[in-house]
Amino acid sequence: MKTRWIIVFLPVVSVIAISVAVREHAARAASPQPAPAKAVAQAPGVVQASHSGGLSIPDTTLAINSPTAMSQRVVHYEIDAHYDATKHIVDATEVLTYHNTTGQALDHFPFHLYQNAFQPNSTWVREAKVAGSRDTGYDKWEDKEYGSEDIKNLEVVGQGDLTSQLHYIQPDDGNKDDKTVTELRLAKPIAPGEFVQFRIAFQTKLPETQARSGWKRDFVLGGQWFPKVGVWWHGAWNCHQYHATTEFFADFGVYDVKLTVPQFEVVGASGVKVSEVNNPDNTKTLTYHGDDIHDFAWTASPRYKLKEDGIYQGQMGPVQMRILMQPAHWSQVVRHEKILKESLEHFEKWYGPYPYKTITLVDPEPDSAAGGMEYPTFITGETNWFTPEGVHLPELVVEHEFGHQYWYGMVATNEFEDAWMDEGFNSYTEVKVLDSILGKKTSIIDFAGATLGEREGQRVGYIGVADLDPIAQKAYDYYSFNSYGGITYGKTASILLTLESIIGEETMQKAMHVYFMKYRFTHPGKEEFEKTVEEVSGKDLKDYFSQAIDGSPVLDYKVLKVESYPVNWYEEKKSMFQKEDKNTVYRSFVWVQRKGTFVMPAEVEIKFDNGETIREHWDGVSRWTKLGPYDKKAKIESAELDPDHKIQIDRNDFNNSYRTEPDGKAANKLKNYWLFATQWLGQALAWWAV
Amino acid sequence: MAEHQGLLSGGWDRVVHNKRYMVWFYILNLTLALLGASAFSNQAHDYLDHSLQSDRLVNGLSVATVIEMFAQPEFGGAQAARASGVHFALAFFLLTAVFLPGVLQGYAATYRLPREDFFRACGRNLWRFIRLMIVAGIVMGAVAGALFGLHGALMKKAAESTNELLPFEVAVLDLLIIFLVMSALRIWFDVAQTDVVLSDQRAVRRSIGLGFRHTWRNLGKLLGSYVATTIVALVILAAGLWLWMKLVPPASVVGAFLVTQLTLLLLLIPRFWQRGVAVSYYMQNMVEPITVQPFAPPSPVAPVLIQPVAAPVIPSAPPEPSGS
Repeated sequence: MKTRWIIVFLPVVSVIAISVAVREHAARAASPQPAPAKAVAQAPGVVQASHSGGLSIPDTTLAINSPTAMSQRVVHYEIDAHYDATKHIVDATEVLTYHNTTGQALDHFPFHLYQNAFQPNSTWVREAKVAGSRDTGYDKWEDKEYGSEDIKNLEVVGQGDLTSQLHYIQPDDGNKDDKTVTELRLAKPIAPGEFVQFRIAFQTKLPETQARSGWKRDFVLGGQWFPKVGVWWHGAWNCHQYHATTEFFADFGVYDVKLTVPQFEVVGASGVKVSEVNNPDNTKTLTYHGDDIHDFAWTASPRYKLKEDGIYQGQMGPVQMRILMQPAHWSQVVRHEKILKESLEHFEKWYGPYPYKTITLVDPEPDSAAGGMEYPTFITGETNWFTPEGVHLPELVVEHEFGHQYWYGMVATNEFEDAWMDEGFNSYTEVKVLDSILGKKTSIIDFAGATLGEREGQRVGYIGVADLDPIAQKAYDYYSFNSYGGITYGKTASILLTLESIIGEETMQKAMHVYFMKYRFTHPGKEEFEKTVEEVSGKDLKDYFSQAIDGSPVLDYKVLKVESYPVNWYEEKKSMFQKEDKNTVYRSFVWVQRKGTFVMPAEVEIKFDNGETIREHWDGVSRWTKLGPYDKKAKIESAELDPDHKIQIDRNDFNNSYRTEPDGKAANKLKNYWLFATQWLGQALAWWAV
Repeated sequence: MAEHQGLLSGGWDRVVHNKRYMVWFYILNLTLALLGASAFSNQAHDYLDHSLQSDRLVNGLSVATVIEMFAQPEFGGAQAARASGVHFALAFFLLTAVFLPGVLQGYAATYRLPREDFFRACGRNLWRFIRLMIVAGIVMGAVAGALFGLHGALMKKAAESTNELLPFEVAVLDLLIIFLVMSALRIWFDVAQTDVVLSDQRAVRRSIGLGFRHTWRNLGKLLGSYVATTIVALVILAAGLWLWMKLVPPASVVGAFLVTQLTLLLLLIPRFWQRGVAVSYYMQNMVEPITVQPFAPPSPVAPVLIQPVAAPVIPSAPPEPSGS
């Protein structure tokens, strides 16, 4: 065969071969899995009520390194779920025992049905379409994005079948098409201190992964997949609709969950695994138990590679680290285990003990929108097969999600209303922990000469949206998804780092420790945190909190002008070639300006060309101030506001300093990059197009 | 194989003997890029030179500082600077098209092509090259569009696989195939351009047809040469970037400038080499042989009787006068 025909045929054959291979591979992935789990019919009562005799919440400690319960246990969920891996459907029964600790009779109960968010007219999708979301912009609706959560039957022990009493409510926006919250009116109220048991049969259809829940190929992440009762908080039910920018809020309790899945699945879940039994129909049933947690998540994939021999010796006892990795990422398992262990060490040392017996780290399906999520004792990381060592994104995600075990998992703030208190606090501790492990300036990227530190990253996330939203507002009230992210994560981390510079690093660490120990296993709010910091530091910080947290003033300081002139300037030089006299006395001034509306004291460092340095304090109250005069035998070389870079929330760091003699090195360096790019672009165009 | 090497070595000889073209193109490339980068340069100097914050860019590259700089409204964004850079890159591309006929003429010449001949070739072929570029743009655009469309569909399908590496492997294979096909098209139009210039072909369509036929018939050796030179380009780029990262201290702007400029100068070689290959191919295979009329014996001519002529009498030269 002539060479030219070989050359022509080779690509054609390759394209066909690739197409066939890809199609077959994809078909295999999408093909029905054997032995789908048998759906459980409406069977309330399959799971036994918690204790013989009257209702109660168990005081088990199987899943924690503590001899006694650590939280006020309000709920006990007993769930028996069968997962149909072909249809991505969970059929389950749920027995929920609720302890009325509210101090008043309760005649209605709201339940979250989170998976109903993934429907075209839901509030979640409507908001995501307009304001953006983490995963999809919903340019086009696809059936695989559909999710649902239907209560088939609901019985209240002692009150009978109340399914017909369920009705959807929309407390946040009145969107009648939103079905993420349902309310049940009881025939008889539940007296304070009493228990009530709900026996629910429900079916959840999981969507292709959205908001870190659902399926992708043969992987599934079961997050927010069962009906969850709202939280009685501040004298009322708190049960918000599911929004594009909100997460979750729930009461602590005990979880006993049976999962029936195909036998080939490798499973990970919250809590500790109690048993695993193979069933005759090629399924298996795994039973998990969780204590003092407020949610339960699970995952399954036939391809997970499991590492579970890692044990961390925690302050309260051993913690088993279960790591489920994608096969193509197996070479990174040591990286994942290392950062998980180091995160545990740092959090225990700085903030408080980790009381659970397990932590499960899941490396989810690539491209699945399931990465970077936290559930109690269960987190998802995120990596790629090609992530180099110097790019610390896997470390960042694992550390961040682990941090949520503290800020959300144990200190269970309301993620609908105070998102900054979990995401922001967690971003702050992420800065501290990653700085300590990976270096201040290299904690995110240390690759090919480029560096990026975590604290810089948080600040950069904030400055683009600095004047859009205050921190203290409901998560669904933010202008956009970007603003939500920049403010709740970036700004909160930056204001806490700035707070640290005001009260001192040690005091701040102590305050966080006290806050954690005092409010773990509770639902604190802004006031509790602010009060704790003021108490620990002994400082009145109301003014700072009011500006930084409650309002949206922007901080932007600037060195406005620098001036040095000879005191005897009026004496003419004898000739233009006369050298400057070393004994000439110069009078110098520095003008500093507060461009933004955020008022905060700052230091100003003035350097003179004889090496002398002066530090001044500016209260920042007036719009601008003039510092000086400084009569010295030297001129000002530079002036810098906040020379120790304590203020992390300054919107623009470039105008914080001024040097009198320009230095073009940085600009020339960037220009060289620009030049290279322009020349290369021209050459590439000429290569292919001429 | 020997023929194949002949093309590469023939092309290389033409590049080596006409180094000045490459140098001029490099100067053009640099000059236009300097103009293109001046807007960004001014912006950066205005913003950074008096700020101590800029020191964070000198001893290393703080990604956050760069992002922050571009994010500041006071910096003014990068749109204007980017547009300027793109425009001057386009200018280089257009000027390459203008001066390329002169280069091809020079590569074909066995002597140093005089400047006026160089520019004459440029002027004479300008409109022809514009027509050629339009046809090439349509053909290459259509093929690239179809191939990238197919690539997109394949990638979408590959993404459904449970094998995480499959999309990457498919992408590598796809892009390799696209590269080969596009290189073949590039060869076709390179040969056509060479024919237009060296045959002084006014009818561009004829050169396009001829280029296609020759490319098709000799695809193996032409594509081999082009692939080899492209590999050289990749090696130069990789080596240049490696040197830049490993040997040049972060604070050394001059060092970085020299390494990057050397890299960009060397990066011109492979494409000029490809042009040299096209000219060598033309000289070896496309120059029409000079047609020689078969020798016809002269028809018999009747003998002419020549009368014997008496030998002329040459007078003896007069005696030279003696003395002076």
